[in-house]
Amino acid sequence: MAHQAHAYHMVDPSPWPLTGAIAALLMTSGLAVWFHFHSTTLMTLGLILLLLTMHQWWRDIIREGTFQGHHTPPVQKGLRYGMILFITSEVFFFLGFFWAFYHSSLAPTPELGGCWPPTGITPLDPFEVPLLNTAVLLASGVTVTWTHHSIMEGERKQAIQSLTLTILLGLYFTALQAMEYYEAPFTIADGVYGSTFFVATGFHGLHVIIGSTFLAVCLLRQIQYHFTSEHHFGFEAAAWYWHFVDVVWLFLYVSIYWWGS
Amino acid sequence: MYYKFSGFTQRLTGAVSSSAYSPQGLRSTIPSESPTIIFTTPTKLVSESSAAVEYMGGNKVPDLQRIFQASDEIPVHLKRGVPDRLLYRTTMALTVGGALYCLVALYIAAQPKNK
Repeated sequence: MAHQAHAYHMVDPSPWPLTGAIAALLMTSGLAVWFHFHSTTLMTLGLILLLLTMHQWWRDIIREGTFQGHHTPPVQKGLRYGMILFITSEVFFFLGFFWAFYHSSLAPTPELGGCWPPTGITPLDPFEVPLLNTAVLLASGVTVTWTHHSIMEGERKQAIQSLTLTILLGLYFTALQAMEYYEAPFTIADGVYGSTFFVATGFHGLHVIIGSTFLAVCLLRQIQYHFTSEHHFGFEAAAWYWHFVDVVWLFLYVSIYWWGS
Repeated sequence: MYYKFSGFTQRLTGAVSSSAYSPQGLRSTIPSESPTIIFTTPTKLVSESSAAVEYMGGNKVPDLQRIFQASDEIPVHLKRGVPDRLLYRTTMALTVGGALYCLVALYIAAQPKNK
């Protein structure tokens, strides 16, 4: 191992930024080809390449941190900044969809009947499955905090069990939401109500799936003894992301499901 | 009126006489002496103990640390040898092949439609 007179991480040359960029090219061009020529080959190839890139890139980060010891305190600080900035960018992403919802719902046009919900739309009852979903995500916020404290206190079994419970709650939310989507009396094509509802909740659902996957990876790492009571930033990043997903849902629930019904 | 100290609200709250005469945690049916407090079990060698002691597998991190810290100038994405090389080569093949396929597809898509 080369010796360095500083605490920062000079990464080995890596092919994954290139493969990731090509994956993005393939996915976007593939989308256009699908729309115009009805072939999904290029887009699927892009997706496979994206998955391969993500797997190997993040695998390498785990190797560099846990096995090679490159994640010194200043390096970890940088990773923290990075995750915070990424989550902030996601907040702005959702802010746009909330803006769209409030733009349309605060001043409903005559075409909608001058009211919100628009004429002809039967909104979902906010006190049925959506309320259950709220309870599920809030509970998962508690269990993930339990996991964090277990890791910090060196309680291996409790950490594994509470993290598993968190992931199961996340999957339960996804299943419930999928069922709601299937059973809903309106579709994405039902005017601006359908558009704002399904795009906002749809992107949120995607983030729940991403967050659950991140937590699942942390579960595997916790089982394999990667985390110590002092150093477990991968898990902290996953927990931050999960809390963010939870908060977005609370805003969605209050705005679209409750106020908007 | 009887009172008890509520552990939940940290205040005195109303209670029935039975809980006032037997404060929380102390009941006549339970013996008054507590069991001997055990601070830790004696350390056992992993080789002596049963497999059940290792909860969901043993710790392989030190072995992996040795593998990945070997001074062999191999970059981290190939450091495990054969499985890494296989995955890398597959990914690179898809990357190069995919990029070429994409350029061809875009060239064809850019051709004007024949009436």
